[in-house]
Amino acid sequence: MSSELGYRSGGPAPAQLADVLERVLDKGIVIAGDIQINLLEIELLTVRLRLLIASADKAREMGIDWWEGDPFLAGRSQRRGLESRLKRLERASGLTDDDDDGGDE
Amino acid sequence: MIESPTATAWYVYGVVAADARPPDAVRLIEHDGLAAIAREVPLAEFGEDVLPLRLNDREWLGANVLAHEDVLHAFLDTGVVPLRFGAIYRDTREVERMLEARSAFFRSALVRLRGQVELGVKAWLVTPADPPASSSPAVGGRAYLERRRDQLTAARERVERATVIVADAHRRLLEVAVDGVVNRPQPPELTGRSDEMVMNAAYLVRRGDEAVARTLARLAPSSVDEGVEFELTGPWPPYNFVPADEEASR
Repeated sequence: MSSELGYRSGGPAPAQLADVLERVLDKGIVIAGDIQINLLEIELLTVRLRLLIASADKAREMGIDWWEGDPFLAGRSQRRGLESRLKRLERASGLTDDDDDGGDE
Repeated sequence: MIESPTATAWYVYGVVAADARPPDAVRLIEHDGLAAIAREVPLAEFGEDVLPLRLNDREWLGANVLAHEDVLHAFLDTGVVPLRFGAIYRDTREVERMLEARSAFFRSALVRLRGQVELGVKAWLVTPADPPASSSPAVGGRAYLERRRDQLTAARERVERATVIVADAHRRLLEVAVDGVVNRPQPPELTGRSDEMVMNAAYLVRRGDEAVARTLARLAPSSVDEGVEFELTGPWPPYNFVPADEEASR
């Protein structure tokens, strides 16, 4: 079997879902089906996933938020709110000049 | 039960050599020595009017993405060219036409990928346990700000050391792998883990080759001391290593 590296015993663990999503939605070759709209949707899906990987906030703006209700994927969201508030306070106080939340694509 | 021929379509997962043996859930649509791994799907789920909604249905998308991976996984031994999610055709004739149109590409990709699989290597910067709370809890704003600044400096230095460690790891892994790529680290919303992902790479190796695992095992002790933890996943179908299809944009 293929379990030599500890993957796949009874399907992927929740943490693996991110890896599967990344590969199946964003890697692999793109071949358009003949159902016209699908080409469009695949493109859209790909763009959306790239955005998600680039920035969850941007994806959220586009209305891609399915992970938020997911116990496996949502873990950090609330805490993040606190962190960014703290960061804003620090920036306002001139303590830090960091620019690490946002910026590059 | 809907019997109308227009009520289904064919979802294609990937392409293999025609002598591959498919698992029960799928069928091979053959054309001239190549075969598309395909499954008949209801248009009620994959039709143009419902697909946009489905894509944002986490349950549906998760289940179908996992199924896509499961199907391709069954072809790890024979070699497979993975397609991205969502190649859907009205009938088998159209699938054959697609194989015909890209015949040269699929043949060369199968030759290149034969006997090879992808391994994922991620590295995490593990958040250190909080230092014991200061013995002078209410020393005022200035002391708090200074302590906070020290913490930020320490965190920045940790990230810098981690960057050196993963760059070195990638260089060593490239030496033992056929090929390798570095992808953007996944955000915490996707990983569900509070530790920061500092490396998200994939390597192409011969099936059964354990050199990547051995290399990581060698790097682990010194990396862990710096808070860097490596994680190995796979084997995967070679999603990250399909050669570019020059015809794809036509």
